[in-house]
Amino acid sequence: MAVEVKQLAEFSVPAASVGAAAGLIAGGLAAFVGQPFGWAVVTGLGLGLPLMVFGAGYAVLIGFGKVPAGVFAPAAVYWVIGFPLALLVHSVVTAWVVTGSPGLPPEPWKFLAFRALVSMGFAIGFLWMHEQLGRHWWPRILDHNVYARRTVEQYVHLASTFKARKSA
Amino acid sequence: MDVTRKTSEVPEEPTATAVTERVWRAGRLEPMPIRKLPDAPPSLHILGPTVFLVALGVGMGESYMWPRLVLVFGPDIRWLFMVGVTLQAFVLLEMARYAMATGESIFFGAARIFKPLMWFFYVAAILIYMWPGHLSAGAAAFEEVSGIPWQATACVALIFVGVLFSMLSVIYNFLEKLLGLLIGLLVVGTSVIAAIVGSWDDLGNTLSGMFAFGYFPDKALSEAWFPIVVGSIAFAGPSGMQQMWYTLQLRDSGAGMGAHIPKIRGLRAAAEAESMPSRGFMFDTSDPAEMQKWKGWRKWVTFDALLLFWGITMLVTISFTVLAMSAARTNPDVAGLIEGGDREAALKAMSDAFASAGSPILGTLFFGFIALIGLNATLGLFDSFSRGQADMTYYFVPGAKRFSMSRLYAGFLWGVITFGILILLFGPADGPAGILDILAFLSTFAMGAYCVVLLLVNNKLLPKPIRPGPVRNVIIGFGAVFYLGLLFYSLVRFGVVVG
Repeated sequence: MAVEVKQLAEFSVPAASVGAAAGLIAGGLAAFVGQPFGWAVVTGLGLGLPLMVFGAGYAVLIGFGKVPAGVFAPAAVYWVIGFPLALLVHSVVTAWVVTGSPGLPPEPWKFLAFRALVSMGFAIGFLWMHEQLGRHWWPRILDHNVYARRTVEQYVHLASTFKARKSA
Repeated sequence: MDVTRKTSEVPEEPTATAVTERVWRAGRLEPMPIRKLPDAPPSLHILGPTVFLVALGVGMGESYMWPRLVLVFGPDIRWLFMVGVTLQAFVLLEMARYAMATGESIFFGAARIFKPLMWFFYVAAILIYMWPGHLSAGAAAFEEVSGIPWQATACVALIFVGVLFSMLSVIYNFLEKLLGLLIGLLVVGTSVIAAIVGSWDDLGNTLSGMFAFGYFPDKALSEAWFPIVVGSIAFAGPSGMQQMWYTLQLRDSGAGMGAHIPKIRGLRAAAEAESMPSRGFMFDTSDPAEMQKWKGWRKWVTFDALLLFWGITMLVTISFTVLAMSAARTNPDVAGLIEGGDREAALKAMSDAFASAGSPILGTLFFGFIALIGLNATLGLFDSFSRGQADMTYYFVPGAKRFSMSRLYAGFLWGVITFGILILLFGPADGPAGILDILAFLSTFAMGAYCVVLLLVNNKLLPKPIRPGPVRNVIIGFGAVFYLGLLFYSLVRFGVVVG
């Protein structure tokens, strides 16, 4: 069980990295424009952590074979729920830091509905970056990680289709 | 299938006295030999040559010109954007039809119809794209973030692009990956910013405005605004000749019959480049198995056109429009500045509004993304321009075949870079003021012209089973009338081309 969790965590690194990148951009730029260090960290973590957790959740679904790697529709469905919730966490954390007490944004349903629509775009970007980072990461760990091996096999199958068309 | 047979002598092999080869005769130039169509990849793979079109297409039109029109005329004006981008998605599909069926660029197709058509695009591309003005928006945004003067950034970027593209073994593979990552970052970042600062009402207005067909306020018909509206429609999605270059990227990615054409290499590896065939190829459209594969390719490119091209272009524009509306709400001065047309002041004011309204990082982040859009466009533009000119030069300038396609590519690349640096240091970046109107005219005219070329090449040069249907032809015909009609109406009515 512990080995399985460790393997899943290792397999989820590219997906979590996309969330981390969003958090890093937010936090790093806050520091860059001269905001207090604490503020930058809170902004970055408030956004980055929930996106990392949801990203890792998506990778686990791929690892278990529940969704195919690199396909748009399941990613869109996943993020239509995950993305608004991640931003809700960010909003609550930001309100907490600014006012001293956590609070929901005004009109929470509208808040969530708007972010659910924007999530379509996030899903495209996420899928894109996930594939780009994964194709470098998974081959490095596939000798001891069964999830990485399975996913790489999917891509190798795809690559052989490409090769076949090149030699046709 | 209307395939004729050609008997060709093969002198190098005396034992084979004559070889009969099936060919497809298209236009006046050399016939295309029949070869096998490769299998189509599954649509699963999200990356494709459309990243180039997205990188080029998502630019000032999406991040500035359309948000500006929305602030001036209200969100209902966006139906024109909807028409423009949808039209471009159909153009993409029809460009892909010729390129995937033959492995030839649309320029080659134009030459098969009537060579002067191709020469028009050859000259227009040089006139429109040799000026380094397109670097200014991204580099100016970088100046806001870093304080480094934009001319310095632009010069360094030019040299960097030249060295990078010269060092690469196969340019296409690298650029596809790099642009894929950068656009991924752009899309993720834009979604996050829009989600933080935007609201349901902004989005609701923006979306409903896309279906307000026919809305055209009197002010938009004025001398001051009509040319700007026309320019914005032309800049909705890829503008000028960017769609034509897409056929070259499709070929280099090995899509359809492009698999039979070697890839362009960087200067360092130019000697390893395989020899280029003197024309494209055709597949046997009378073979049901080949037609099945063709359907697979059409499905693949349709997926690219809808999700990647249409979807991302819409997303970025909607996000930036939501941002502009939110900025104008926070700071009423922003609306005045954006309407006034001073791009730099407007972008700066928008950035400040975000910084004061939402979290303080948003202002910087906003400039970061404008700089990223500029970088994507620059990488894509230099590659595409050099690819297009090298293609036409190689096939149609007498004696050019002595150089390989890869060397011609390097020649055009370094030519436009050297000229760009000289102009950045000593001249007007957008081109001399006296010819600005001509350049704007040429850019929009080229779009109407390529719709006409598309109708001709796809209906006259391709075998019947793979020609476009009547609906597609009507849409592309509408495109020609739309671009040329708006352009000439503006010219005749107001004496101004496009803004």
